[in-house]
Amino acid sequence: MPKRRQSPDASRRNFLKGAGLVGAAAAAAVTPPVAANAMPAVPAEKLKAALPGPRQVAAETMPPNSDPVNQSTSGGDFMTDVLNSLGIEYMAINCASSYRGLHEAIVNHGNNKPEIITCVHEDIAVHMAQGYAKIEGKPMAMACHGVVGLQHATMAMYNAWCDRVPVLVVGGNIMEADKRGPGAEWVHAGVDIGQIVRDFTKWDDQPASLQHFAESAVRAYKVATTPPMGPVFLSLDAELQENPIPDAESLRIPKFVPVTPPQGDPAAIAQAAKMLVEAQNPVIVVDRMARTPAGMANLVALAETLQCAVIDNAGRMNFPSRHPLNQSFRRAMIGQADVILAIEMNDLWGTLTHFSDRINRRSRPAYKSDTKIITLGVRDLYLKSNYQDFGRWQDVDLDIAGDGEASLPALTEAAQRLIDDGRKATYAERGKKLAAAHLAMVERSKTDATIGWDASPITTARMCAEVYNQIKDEDWSVVGTAIRLSWMHRLWDFKKPYQWNGVSGGSGVGYNLPASLGAALANKKHGRFTLAFGGDGDFMFNPGALWTAAHHQIPILYIVHNNRAYHQEYMYLVAMAARHGRGVDKMDIGTTIKDPNIDYATVARGMGAHGEGPITDPKDLAPALTRAIAAVKAGGPAVVDVVTDPR
Amino acid sequence: MTTFKRIAVTAFAVAALGAASLAAAQDAPQGNAANGKRIFLADGCFTCHGRSGQGGAYNGPAPILAHTALPFDGFKGQLRNPADDMPAYSDAVLSEKDIADIYAFVQTLPGPSSPKDIAILNN
Repeated sequence: MPKRRQSPDASRRNFLKGAGLVGAAAAAAVTPPVAANAMPAVPAEKLKAALPGPRQVAAETMPPNSDPVNQSTSGGDFMTDVLNSLGIEYMAINCASSYRGLHEAIVNHGNNKPEIITCVHEDIAVHMAQGYAKIEGKPMAMACHGVVGLQHATMAMYNAWCDRVPVLVVGGNIMEADKRGPGAEWVHAGVDIGQIVRDFTKWDDQPASLQHFAESAVRAYKVATTPPMGPVFLSLDAELQENPIPDAESLRIPKFVPVTPPQGDPAAIAQAAKMLVEAQNPVIVVDRMARTPAGMANLVALAETLQCAVIDNAGRMNFPSRHPLNQSFRRAMIGQADVILAIEMNDLWGTLTHFSDRINRRSRPAYKSDTKIITLGVRDLYLKSNYQDFGRWQDVDLDIAGDGEASLPALTEAAQRLIDDGRKATYAERGKKLAAAHLAMVERSKTDATIGWDASPITTARMCAEVYNQIKDEDWSVVGTAIRLSWMHRLWDFKKPYQWNGVSGGSGVGYNLPASLGAALANKKHGRFTLAFGGDGDFMFNPGALWTAAHHQIPILYIVHNNRAYHQEYMYLVAMAARHGRGVDKMDIGTTIKDPNIDYATVARGMGAHGEGPITDPKDLAPALTRAIAAVKAGGPAVVDVVTDPR
Repeated sequence: MTTFKRIAVTAFAVAALGAASLAAAQDAPQGNAANGKRIFLADGCFTCHGRSGQGGAYNGPAPILAHTALPFDGFKGQLRNPADDMPAYSDAVLSEKDIADIYAFVQTLPGPSSPKDIAILNN
């Protein structure tokens, strides 16, 4: 990335650096080389012949520059204090001159607090923050170069936006044109650099003073963490970061108080409770509901009160996978429901619709015509127009604006008040049937997993079973998956709030490796064992994230589900060829990642991580996992490259 | 997350296949399993259904094909005019013989076994 160009003159910004360079050159001139391939020393006759040039003469004879060359305060120091007042633990960065003032202040004034996490791409830095927030329950910061760095960061910010995850992004800028140096400082400056991300951030600002920064930083944090959550952006003027504080006594760090998430209207909650209690076959569908450890417990309480089916879209860790009422792999329940309660849904229409991707695209409701639909959530309280992540319109019967997690206790209490002994007996019977169906589904999953058990490439079922066998007794947290890989949720026992944290949100490829790493960073201080699965295609968008993991010693077991393809696209191409009545045997062109095959273990080792693989024989998988897990327990990242069947 | 939605329906599709008559499978035309394997791997069948016929996912569930109990006519009907998002394979892409060969191949694939025999599936 271009940085501020080096000026040849001894200007204020370059004076000390230039002096340092002069000293280093002189030392090198008299120090003999110590290695055969070292640069030769300057010959002695050249040193004798050297005469001062006109620039040196001028520099030595002109009176000293009256401009100040040192300062005792900096705006960056105050900015650091503000960030620390918000409890921000980490700032993921790819270093850049437009925020060098803040960077230096964090390192020296803040004693590296927030801790700088060095990333080799802005996409990695933002995705790390996204993954971190979903485990830790609060944002971390990300800093980037004002224009080009922010352009790199955009897709990851879009993922965070679609996923409704708070991330505090700051980008440097030089607002005053007469302060910009020639070259890079012009192409890296903008009138309104936040414009590029405004369609997918909740709020942004470009503070013009330090007090303005303080208030905007606290406001940004508050906006980001208020449901529906989302990324925010601040443009930081370089002069504001770097220059002395003119009026330190007048500066004040605003008081941050988190917003209490809104509960649904009591009358509407009571109406919903009545509908659910009177229903013969109520079904709860849920997506991004749990935002604290209390969320899952709240949903379990409601489901057990009603003894009703829960279908979890797994946008968060909403419901235990082995709970008898978990019917997530029995979607046909939606077609049998008379009342559906949809909580914090990302794609309500998609969840309740059968859609066909054929020449004539068709859709039909997955529910009965007389089914009553209740929605509870805050997603639609903040929408934007351009990007269509809000999804298709869905008719509903009762639409409650309220945070799902915060509203569930009141809904449960309202339902409990309406349930008499007669209903309790009916509900118990309903619960027994659901429990039996759940158990049958688990057994069916195990049976299905046996097919191709010893095959090579390795089946995804075996891959997941082998991994679980080795981590099941750890305090594990699985924070990433590949497209369509659901074996963990079919086979594993998810029951703790941090054992899952959802997916990318915007389906932007490149999320999985760095976001998993961010989640691992959050898990590290809690002593949890972090692992993730990820596709090979996703891996190659951001392999440099592994260097960050090695550099900062972030322990994570990362399993590459290596089907050597952008496999979903492969299937789409096969479908296109079949539709057009043409050959389907060349659809690997442009969709596969082979010839040569990528050796992900070697890539990992090149980044300083432990690498295992490629594993093609299922018998080799368990020993490779054992070695990798040992490396993770030693404190670093480990990659296991598993050559798998496509799905 | 649509993954679960799509995978979940698989179970119902598989159940439907399992209910089909094994006797009907015996009425299938004689196919060349070796050639069927070649087509299965070359023409994209494996991309959704897996090399072992273990099933998978496309837009929706891709049912288990290993040792399928689906009658040949039903198998061919699904290839020619699928009920869901599965690509429709016309005669220009897969001949009647190709389909018979694929059908013969998937009949050779071992179906599920008892998970009780695999210790790590019982965690």
